[in-house]
Amino acid sequence: MAVSFQQIEEKLKTEARRLLESGQVSLVLAWGEGYDENHPMPYVAKCPSDADGIVFNEYCTHNPARYLVRYPRGTKIAIAVKAADSRAVVQLIQEDKVKRHDLVILGIPVYGIKNPKTGELIDDRTTCGLYNPVLYDVLIAEEVHGQPVSSPYAVLAEYEAMDQEARFAFWKKELDRCIRCYACRKACPMCYCDPCFIDQNKPKWGEKSPDPAGNLMYHLTRFHHLAGRCIDCGECSRACPVDIPLYLFHKKVAKDCEEMFGQAAGMSIEDKPVLVNFRMEDSDKILE
Amino acid sequence: MLKKTTLNQLSDLAFALMEKGTLVAPVRQNAGFQFREITDAKQVDLNFHNTVISPKSVFFPQTEDFVRYKTGRPVQEAEAVEPQGKPLILFGVRPCDVKSFEIMDIHFSGTGAVDPYWQARREAATIIGYAFDVGAPAESEEFYQTLGIGAADPEGSDIFMVRHGDDLLLKSITGRGEALLAGIGGLTGASADDEKYFDDTVAAGRDFKTRFTCVDAKAITKKLEDLFHHTDFWEKASNACLSCGVCTFVCPTCYCFDICDETLFKQGTRRRVWDACMFTDFTLEASGHNPRTKVYQRLRQKINHKYSYHVRKYGVISCVGCGRCTRYCPVNIDIFSIVEEAMKA
Repeated sequence: MAVSFQQIEEKLKTEARRLLESGQVSLVLAWGEGYDENHPMPYVAKCPSDADGIVFNEYCTHNPARYLVRYPRGTKIAIAVKAADSRAVVQLIQEDKVKRHDLVILGIPVYGIKNPKTGELIDDRTTCGLYNPVLYDVLIAEEVHGQPVSSPYAVLAEYEAMDQEARFAFWKKELDRCIRCYACRKACPMCYCDPCFIDQNKPKWGEKSPDPAGNLMYHLTRFHHLAGRCIDCGECSRACPVDIPLYLFHKKVAKDCEEMFGQAAGMSIEDKPVLVNFRMEDSDKILE
Repeated sequence: MLKKTTLNQLSDLAFALMEKGTLVAPVRQNAGFQFREITDAKQVDLNFHNTVISPKSVFFPQTEDFVRYKTGRPVQEAEAVEPQGKPLILFGVRPCDVKSFEIMDIHFSGTGAVDPYWQARREAATIIGYAFDVGAPAESEEFYQTLGIGAADPEGSDIFMVRHGDDLLLKSITGRGEALLAGIGGLTGASADDEKYFDDTVAAGRDFKTRFTCVDAKAITKKLEDLFHHTDFWEKASNACLSCGVCTFVCPTCYCFDICDETLFKQGTRRRVWDACMFTDFTLEASGHNPRTKVYQRLRQKINHKYSYHVRKYGVISCVGCGRCTRYCPVNIDIFSIVEEAMKA
């Protein structure tokens, strides 16, 4: 079954209008018109008439879950989510950054989303590749039958074939061109620390200038802060103006976590984040 | 003086320029084109639309060391880093980016407070501009024509280049450009047809349409001032904004910086590093007070600075319409759409 972006957009508008009219929510997070058709942007509808501004097309890559923590606790929010976005919502609920009962989740089963910068299909190479949201209150379209055949970790094969030295050289080369605009952390739904460790100056964890050492400090720390939390939406990599393949490291850590603790991030609100949860049966592999 | 070479011989031209000074030119990198110091003439590549980071970074690098020191009590050793004034050739700069140097000059030397690092490089530089392809439509992010900048404006360049099929026409615009052009071997003289093509391209560049209609800087300034307290407007405009620094870092006219001491193993440098008004801690005061804690306040500052305060203070919009901020914004915020919305509000 082909995805009808048009139908999804209509249904999103209808649901947003209904929720805002009934007063069930005070805002709806979705996508709206950008400067051209290929560049829609995250959008907030605050009154029923705003619902008309909602757009959904194949370039709606952004993860609206990124904006949840921007609003005061207790704000009633409806949020439109694709599969990976829904995992971010679940993870934020697990981390108690937002309450389940404050949300109305509009789940969008979809595939065929494209990166507007490159025109490339966004699939399990750069994201988790799931088609259906893992949690929702309202389903905006029929669920897509089946799931990707390949694993979201298949893309790691080449990376995992490298030895430690080669990996370090790889990351040094990739991270050297970082300009420290922090688009990656700002686009990330899980990067909500205020202040971020790298902005602190007592103690100062890393240099402010985009030198190789400071870049390594920033990125390696951020990668590990997201261990067991990254839901593999790929927004960090798409946000990067210098195309650093950040998703590779995140996927590697996610894979390790899944192998060690048997749990992927943001799949169920009953789960606890792996690194804050102690279970007797947990793997000791990390200590080996 | 109009001279000609072919694109096949570009590396010969680059090689000749490297003999005259440090050559900085567009180079294809992992993530698109960037201006880089050329070490191998073959690196120079003119098959680009524009670079990711603007060429401001040549005069105003992201990191600039002022003082190098060793720590200890009393201070062991400290040495000032002298400004570098080696001859510099900046090759392949698009007309809108050439215009940005003039705007940046206001801040780094024009108001009386002279930045010696900027000035030394700027004075040592010969700028070789490069016309956009006026035969192809503009990219949807660009709006330099709106701001009165032509797609093939030679103004501000010392030498200006126009591509004619597989040929590259080079015309000297200033005396400095003429001296440089005269000293380069391997170029052929241009025909009357070439002269005509060059002039036609410059003229076509003036009429070249980018996506917005022309607007009046004074009207925008006034309107933005009136809108300052309309929080609803700014909140709506910034709903999607992530408050990252991409737009300012790729911008050719953003000039804010921070000065910090970075020390490792008792060796330190006092350096200037680009900063961005979109960062939360940009306005964080030592007391802990932060006058701009909200995203809308920061975006409002950015837009007002470029289109309102700057016009009031220096008489010119601090934007050249290159479209980089829009092109690289992770959430597709378009700065000029916000200005247009403001004019309608």
